[in-house]
Order: sequence, then structure tokens, then C-alpha cells
Amino acid sequence: MPSFTIQTQNIESTGPLVEIHLAIDATLESVLKAQGKTIPNPVPVLAMIDTGATATVIREDLAQILGIKPVGQALVTTPSSAYVPCYEYLIRVLFPNGITVETTAISASMQGQPIQCLIGRDVLKHGVFIYTGYTNTFSLCF
Amino acid sequence: MESLLLTEIKTFEDNRLALLGRAKEKYALVKGDQIVGVYDAKLDAIRQGYQMFGNVPFLVKLVTEVDIPLNFVTNYFD
Repeated sequence: MPSFTIQTQNIESTGPLVEIHLAIDATLESVLKAQGKTIPNPVPVLAMIDTGATATVIREDLAQILGIKPVGQALVTTPSSAYVPCYEYLIRVLFPNGITVETTAISASMQGQPIQCLIGRDVLKHGVFIYTGYTNTFSLCF
Repeated sequence: MESLLLTEIKTFEDNRLALLGRAKEKYALVKGDQIVGVYDAKLDAIRQGYQMFGNVPFLVKLVTEVDIPLNFVTNYFD
């Protein structure tokens, strides 16, 4: 079972953070290749594993950096807002150790946050997430 | 800001009742004023959209009576 484990200095303070890459979907990559267009390079981002997020979220400028267009629009509810429309994008999430998951991510401003991506339960449903607070580690297995 | 998917969302809403009769809980692929197809899996619908239209905005939406919002216990949307 492919997996990775990350240890931080203080996981209580930072949360479960992981450096990942975001890339365009394989089908779109094939379409762009067939059209002779440039394939955007995967973009490195800092992500947090968030069991409180129904879906994966990317900072809104990342879609522009990857050059992808919306493939849906979802309504989002948070503790301070309700039914906020947000674009959806199909992305590939590249975790450490060669683990890849394709999912639809919604875009949000994520202003003032040190992270650019939330990994939500749409990704976690495929694997096992182990958070070990007293050792400041977490593992994700698929 | 006007949605890039305004036409597609209107098309979906205009056809929601008809879609409920034949494709409830499936995913509709919508481009412009056309319901292009319905699919069992969301990713299949999106991939079909890429193959048909390329890298342009299109709408893939679950066919339900009402839209169900995605919930987040933290707020990254303001």
C-alpha cells in the first residue's frame, strides 16, 4: 500500500502539512498534446490535510497558473457563510512517494493563509489517514 | 463577477425537471444551451467534456432535486 509519513516540529500548531504538486488531468494533457499546445508543469504547493473539508480546495490563482478552466460550480457553506458559489476544476494531486489522486477541487481565495491547498475528504475517502499527535507525525496510505 | 458558466447553469436549471425523470443521481454534461449527455461518474463526464470541447469552461453537475452545498468547518472562502 503506497504511503508517506511526515514529522513536523509542532503538529498541534501547524496542522498536518505536506508539500505536494498540482497538475492538470491526464485527459486534458492528451487533448493539449494533440492540439500541439504546451503542457503546464506541475505546481508545487503547501497543503493541509483537512478532515473538516468535504472537498479539496485550491487557492484561486492556481487554476490560472495551471491554465485550466472550470468544469463545474459548487455551493459552499462555512461557519460564517452559506451557499457561496465556487468554481470546480479537475486536478491531479501528486503526493510524496509517487502517490497520485485525481479529483475535482473548488477554488477559494484562502487569503492570509500559509497554505495554498486543502486536501479534503474526497481524497481521504480513498485511503487511511493516521494522525499521531504525541509524535508530531501523520501518515497517509492509499 | 459574472459566472463563466452562467449559460450552462441556466440550461441545467431549464432542464432539471426533465433530467430528474431520466437521469436522477447521474452527472449531466452541459455546454452552452445543450445538455450534451448524462454519465454515471463525474470524472467520466468531465473527461468527455475535455475530449469534446477541449480546455474551455463547461458544466458537469449532479442531477438532484436541489443543490447540496459542500460543507467546511474552517473558513477559507472570505
